[in-house]
Amino acid sequence: MAETDKDSTKSEELDEGIEVGVRRLTPERIQTVINSVLGAETGARFKAYIQTCIHCGLCSDACHFYLSNDKDPRFSPVGKVKQTIWPMIQAKGRVDAAFIRRAAQIAHTECNLCKRCVQYCPFGIDIAYMMSMVRRIIHKLGVTPLYLQDTAHSHAATMNQMWVKGDEWIDTLQWQEDEAREEIPELRIPLEKEGADIMYSVIAPEPKFQAQLIYQAAVIMHTAGVNWTMPASMGWDNSDMAMFSGDNEIMGRVKRAHFETAARLKVKKIVMGECGHAFRSVYDMGNRWLGWAMPPIPIVHAIEFYHDLLKSGRIRIARKYDKPVTLHDPCNVVRGGGLHEMARYVVSQICEQLVEMHPNREHNYCCAAGGGVINCGPPYKNKRMAGNRVKAEQLFDAKSRGAETLIAPCHNCHSGLHDIVHHYEIGLDIKFFGDIIYECMEKPENP
Amino acid sequence: MNRMLFWGMTILSIAVAVCTAFGQEDMELVDNGAFDRPQRPPAIFEHDAHNEMAGLDDCAECHHLYDESGQKLEGESSEDQMCADCHELKDVGSKPGLRKAFHNNCKGCHVAQEKGPIACAQCHVR
Amino acid sequence: MHALYQFVAGPLAWAAFIVFLGGLLYRLIRLLILVRNREPFISSYMSWRYGLRSIVHWLTPFGTVRWRTMPVLTVVTFVFHLFLLITPIFLLSHIVLWDEAWGLTWWALPDVLADIMCAIVIACCVFFAVRRSTQPEVRFVTDSSDYLILLLTAAPFLTGFVAYHQWTEGAWMTILHMFSGELMLALLPFTRLGHMLLGWLTRAYMGSEFGGVRHARDW
Repeated sequence: MAETDKDSTKSEELDEGIEVGVRRLTPERIQTVINSVLGAETGARFKAYIQTCIHCGLCSDACHFYLSNDKDPRFSPVGKVKQTIWPMIQAKGRVDAAFIRRAAQIAHTECNLCKRCVQYCPFGIDIAYMMSMVRRIIHKLGVTPLYLQDTAHSHAATMNQMWVKGDEWIDTLQWQEDEAREEIPELRIPLEKEGADIMYSVIAPEPKFQAQLIYQAAVIMHTAGVNWTMPASMGWDNSDMAMFSGDNEIMGRVKRAHFETAARLKVKKIVMGECGHAFRSVYDMGNRWLGWAMPPIPIVHAIEFYHDLLKSGRIRIARKYDKPVTLHDPCNVVRGGGLHEMARYVVSQICEQLVEMHPNREHNYCCAAGGGVINCGPPYKNKRMAGNRVKAEQLFDAKSRGAETLIAPCHNCHSGLHDIVHHYEIGLDIKFFGDIIYECMEKPENP
Repeated sequence: MNRMLFWGMTILSIAVAVCTAFGQEDMELVDNGAFDRPQRPPAIFEHDAHNEMAGLDDCAECHHLYDESGQKLEGESSEDQMCADCHELKDVGSKPGLRKAFHNNCKGCHVAQEKGPIACAQCHVR
Repeated sequence: MHALYQFVAGPLAWAAFIVFLGGLLYRLIRLLILVRNREPFISSYMSWRYGLRSIVHWLTPFGTVRWRTMPVLTVVTFVFHLFLLITPIFLLSHIVLWDEAWGLTWWALPDVLADIMCAIVIACCVFFAVRRSTQPEVRFVTDSSDYLILLLTAAPFLTGFVAYHQWTEGAWMTILHMFSGELMLALLPFTRLGHMLLGWLTRAYMGSEFGGVRHARDW
């Protein structure tokens, strides 16, 4: 562990976002920003959390970073609060640049905002929310990790996460439509179809480097006979890294563009691909920032969508996936949306055998990639790997009981678990639900 | 006459001695026999020593008597009765229950006079 | 000693009760005003059903995953809080005082039982102190204030226990006992002991969010 720590400290020095930002700090600026955020942007919740926390440490065992780092108390949820918020409050914002540097690392790379600790705290204190407030301070101080800040810049400039240009987006959809028509000639990816039932939205990494997922979604939509459309304008991206960088203003702009695009197309609901953080951004955080308690247009995550299609028989499985699978419960759609039973129904319909990992459902361990952590990039990969040994153990246990394929219905989880599986040499095939459904479903006959 | 006087004096002496022996020996504890399963030991109370120290001459100071309407009867006292003869275990109207009566009588006076024991353990000694 | 006793048993006791109840009320009102001014959305998520559902689970020994993962601490925690509340309220000596002051009386614990419960509360405090100083994850987030509020809680029980067993002469231990109890009550709303009030609210909010929005168990 000590070696990993050393490695990660070394690699963190490569993060120019933090290092350059820290060099620009002045004590006055630190104090002003901390006091303005803690004073003007927090309220009853924050106050109650600080005043109620009895420092009992019961949240510790909830955290994969803590468990994976040999129960190092610096990684426990309350330990992270102790290293960030408590001194800020006690010193009334008079903390130094080195403190801010460390706070940025803690809030951005040692916490996935997974909220598992909420389930372990007798008072239900939301430490993920407190870490978000630290990130907000870090953002306002300009010390956000470089890779994450880059995605937030992309959101601000292009309204998508991956600097996808307007023509590239349409090009990619038409390219995938062309590809899919090789298989199903009458298939279309309907662009800008006003009055369609469903607007299908994805995260920018799909057109950027996983275009086959759009292909698969189109085949599923077509086969199920869904009246759907995708926007040709900005607002097609449902992802939101600004939400994780503490740039709430950009988060609000991105979410507004997304909801307004759906409203312009007069769709009944938005169906989104297999992504967790995007679900959090449209179902939990972005809508609230914009003033809606719940999303203004119903949001249907891919898990629920597939569940409904399978249950109503609109797609049929020709031959169930025969390798034993294990299922990862993504925090944002399970602890954040309660889709765990629907996910299990989908598994039961498309796979021969499910090997559960333990703990599971809303108590599942996070993938350590979510919450913008994987988006902080290569400087933190070692820390991320060391910080999720418990997940590796969980996966290895499932594999030892026969699992060969790991279903991860979330982009961040998918990438994070890919890293874990390789780093710990677990040897599991990782798939989305869409991959398996596409592979196993009955498709229209090719004439 | 002399003989009668002798016998008379003798009988009187014996009577006084007997009365002193049986009736006037100084008590050491408050009788808590009326309580059902008392939780604390009976209160320490040395009657004569207490009264001497407190300079108490009027028996009615403690051995009070109240009429039916709750008016204290001045000039009358009740040293021929047990406290429990009047005070029941529970309050009855304005008449305090036995425990409260004891506490009011002892501690109430100690508090008012700023003398004597006041904390639980000072009277209910184990 | 008499003047001190009367002050501690009289005006100071009144002051402690008033500061305790008034302080809790003040904290509650301040918080509700803050909710209204800053986070009015909280009330749109608050749900009696889901809030209470979460509270009931957390109030049930072994009723949550967390309680089940650490049986010893769970038992200690429940016993401690239960006895902490029950013992002083149903202690005969306290009832005697309330009876004499206000004519209020209710069922009392037998002294022997109350004595054992008091000893258990003290033992739990010792357990917490030891846990705090030996468990790395607790020690890391502990400062002197944590021991201080533990001492503040234990003090009335310690002094009460000593006074009951009459290990000291005179009234001063009883006076100290009353004073320590009053100190705890008066400081409670203004220290983290205030979790007695706020804990219900934070749990209810989280229960409401998990029930109404997240559709997941928070226990």
